[in-house]
Amino acid sequence: MSTSVEEKSTGNAGSSGSSVLGKASSVLVRVGKAVGGVVGVLYQAGRDTIDTVIRNIIPFMAFVSVIVGIVNYTGLGNVLANFVAPLASSLIGLLAICIFCAIPILSPVLGPGAVIAQVVGVLLGTRIGAGDIPPQYALPALFAINPQVGCDFIPVGLALGEAEPETVEAGVPAVLFSRLITGPLAVVLAYFASFGLYSST
Amino acid sequence: MYVLAAETPNAEDPTGFFGVLAHAAEWFIGLFQAGADNFVGLLVGIIPLLIVLLTAVNALVRAIGIERIERFGEMAARPGIQWYPVRYLLLPVLSVFFLTNPMCYTMGRFLPEKYKPAFYDSAVSFVHPILGLFPHANPGELFVYYGIAAGITTLGLGLGDLAVRFLLVGMVVILIRGIVTELITARLLARNTRTEGALA
Repeated sequence: MSTSVEEKSTGNAGSSGSSVLGKASSVLVRVGKAVGGVVGVLYQAGRDTIDTVIRNIIPFMAFVSVIVGIVNYTGLGNVLANFVAPLASSLIGLLAICIFCAIPILSPVLGPGAVIAQVVGVLLGTRIGAGDIPPQYALPALFAINPQVGCDFIPVGLALGEAEPETVEAGVPAVLFSRLITGPLAVVLAYFASFGLYSST
Repeated sequence: MYVLAAETPNAEDPTGFFGVLAHAAEWFIGLFQAGADNFVGLLVGIIPLLIVLLTAVNALVRAIGIERIERFGEMAARPGIQWYPVRYLLLPVLSVFFLTNPMCYTMGRFLPEKYKPAFYDSAVSFVHPILGLFPHANPGELFVYYGIAAGITTLGLGLGDLAVRFLLVGMVVILIRGIVTELITARLLARNTRTEGALA
């Protein structure tokens, strides 16, 4: 009986000794896993980022640079400025650009990859930089050049949301018509929201 | 008179046939040099900040996990006026932030059919206003914002104000867009079912 107690006690002592070690090592494992996880997430995020920069961003920068270079160097920019600057520096002009881009037949054509919006954005940006367009018009201009956003993508976008064919049938015209109302509305909203933007300069 | 190496040599412009060629070549190279200067400006001015920001936000999105925002999808499906801001403001903003373009549209699957076009409209309209502060959401279409923002930078003005206002106005616009599109969709759906009924 006594031996069994002794055995028990020694057994306990042995297990408690090993459990301290076990606890320590499990804590170490947990810390190691957590640190590894954090590092892994950050590293993967960095990998994704560099991938996006090389695949999407730098190619577009190259494309934009060629256009901007040509437009500025040939003096085409000044010609464009005479045409675009008066349009882009008044609410009426911006609304005209916006309504044009939101016409239900044109908007899906202007949509793909937002290429048109990006090129027009770059052109307007250079004009703002050159002082032809007042900087506070940047905000309404951002909405004026972009009422067609996603208009090329409606069926795909709806399919991603697992929509029925009947929904797509009604949804495509619904979005296109909605843009005719909400596009100009967005420009007006942005126009009023731009009060006080860069006005001190 | 001594001619120092530091002085600019005032050679005459080349004339004649080779002169024309030389000028043409200079002009041709200048055309692309202007583009190259612009490219360097973009690389140095935008890319470093962008890389750090994208990495941080990508890590954050991974850490939080996408499945947590699916709860909002189920909430957004409820009828009633108090759920409009959830459906056309909170859900699109969260989906665009966490799922990014184009996967954000998959959140529409939690909604009833009649809300799907409006949700799509709302979400797709947010992929550009978010760019000013969170470019990770739509890096392929960065220049919608950066193109215009570059002009502001050229003027030596700060971008923060523009970015925040773009985001806030964008939020108001997607809410309005969602509501308007929902109304139009309801009408079109009703008309389509009527015509189908008449045909049958």
